[in-house]
Amino acid sequence: MGSVRAEFLKLRRSMSWVVVVLLPLTAVVAGAVNTVVAGEPLEDHWHTLWLRAVVFYGLFPLVLGVAVLASLVWRVEHRGGNWNALMGRQVSSLHVVVGKTAVLAALAAAMQAVLVVGIVVVGKLVFALPGTLPPEYFLVSAVIVLACLPVAAFQSGLSMLMRSFAAPIAVALLASAAGMLLWMTRIEALALLLPHGLVGRATQMGTGMLADSGTVTAGAVTSVVVIALGLTAVVTLGTAAVLDRRDIR
Amino acid sequence: MITTHDLGKTYGDRTVVANLDLRVPEGCVYGFLGPNGSGKTTTMKMLLSLVRPTTGEIRIMGRPMERSTRRELLGHIGALIETPPSYEHLTGRENMRLVKRLLDLDEGRTTRAVRTVRLQDHLDKRVRDYSLGMRQRLGIAMALAREPRLLILDEPTNGLDPAGIEEIRRLLAQLAGDGTTVMVSSHLLGEIDRTATVLGILGEGRMLFQGTRDQLLARSTPDVLIDTPEPERATALTARWSAYRDGPAVRLPGLDRTGTARVVAHLVHERVDVHGVRRDAQSLEDVFMDLTGGRGL
Repeated sequence: MGSVRAEFLKLRRSMSWVVVVLLPLTAVVAGAVNTVVAGEPLEDHWHTLWLRAVVFYGLFPLVLGVAVLASLVWRVEHRGGNWNALMGRQVSSLHVVVGKTAVLAALAAAMQAVLVVGIVVVGKLVFALPGTLPPEYFLVSAVIVLACLPVAAFQSGLSMLMRSFAAPIAVALLASAAGMLLWMTRIEALALLLPHGLVGRATQMGTGMLADSGTVTAGAVTSVVVIALGLTAVVTLGTAAVLDRRDIR
Repeated sequence: MITTHDLGKTYGDRTVVANLDLRVPEGCVYGFLGPNGSGKTTTMKMLLSLVRPTTGEIRIMGRPMERSTRRELLGHIGALIETPPSYEHLTGRENMRLVKRLLDLDEGRTTRAVRTVRLQDHLDKRVRDYSLGMRQRLGIAMALAREPRLLILDEPTNGLDPAGIEEIRRLLAQLAGDGTTVMVSSHLLGEIDRTATVLGILGEGRMLFQGTRDQLLARSTPDVLIDTPEPERATALTARWSAYRDGPAVRLPGLDRTGTARVVAHLVHERVDVHGVRRDAQSLEDVFMDLTGGRGL
């Protein structure tokens, strides 16, 4: 896939990497500082640290981070004659859209990797926790990355259609708030079908927060993964169809 | 290479292009001229299917250019529309690598494209540090990399200094010599009239003229200049032919051969000495001004 490889080349010297590193690290540091300042010990060791760092991160910052990344990867196309060049080549609209979503997925995976490494480092160096992060959280991390795909596809579509850098991020903020409300009011089916709500569900996995039972079950993992892949396919195809019909003015 | 029939584009109540019948022969340099806002860019965007026409049809290389067929046809077309495309945070080399990856080209093609625009010594600079001329050349190299049969360039000389304009002229002639059909737009006739073998002149979205340079010159009647020692009196006597003083001579616009004979006979009859009668030398620029009603070039 040449379009995917080309998109990765555009990431060189990109501001995206700053977001990828700083956002998850901020979540980890905030969780650690909160623990130290409140004087509340990590009763359940790694589990408590994970919960304090990841649950809030999954409700707002992660989605906003993906939205910022989407705005960043599309911003370069809105400059100069890049739209004309992008659509004036034989590369199909679907390939253009898939390329952008793939890059966002890779960046989301990198963010999750930074988050996990940050939690392990803080757990060992700051709190001297025994052992290491339980393997179930590596599985949850993979689920979180997959759950980011529909958000990436959706935000990518918005940033494609809007020249504004901030407007798609504002939409992401509103959609995250809607997702959180749906989880709090236990309208779970709708929360799962909203891409921004689905990320919240993935980050709750294994924590016992909101809709989660407290254990990572095959059923929960499967439902999140299947919905994530289905939503991604629908949003990506829809975005490609819109792009194909759109005039470049 | 390109034919259009009744091509038109309307945005709301505003007609940008109307009834356009383009004929771009294969292997030519087609100079697409018109004042700013005359519809050149919209036409070029329609040719690339970036913008869908409101009316009419386009055929390129004998095949209809529509949304359903555009990807296949675009494989044979290189284009530079409006401002040059590039990713400013990347170097020139990285931009070319990007095109190579996107279009699955071999290294040789991108190298040849870069050499054609003579940018090989500046490839490791970031594009944000490029001059406008270098950006234009990079944009053209990106369009050339796929070795297209048809090259569409929208105002490629915009913002270039005279040396840069001359370089683009040489490049266009070289490409046409190699068999590439080039369609190049400009609002400045002088920039492309010596390079273009066929000219199309657009005014307010409509084709005012299409043909060769000689055909264009033949379209307009140059002014008649009469040399006389009494220009004041001669001007008054020929006022009904719209004569006016032009220094020591009398100028009569739009006068054919019969009209010229009548004016001379009238002056002689009124005992005005006529020392000479000649047609003014007319540039393409004057013809263009006539055609576009004095707007541009």
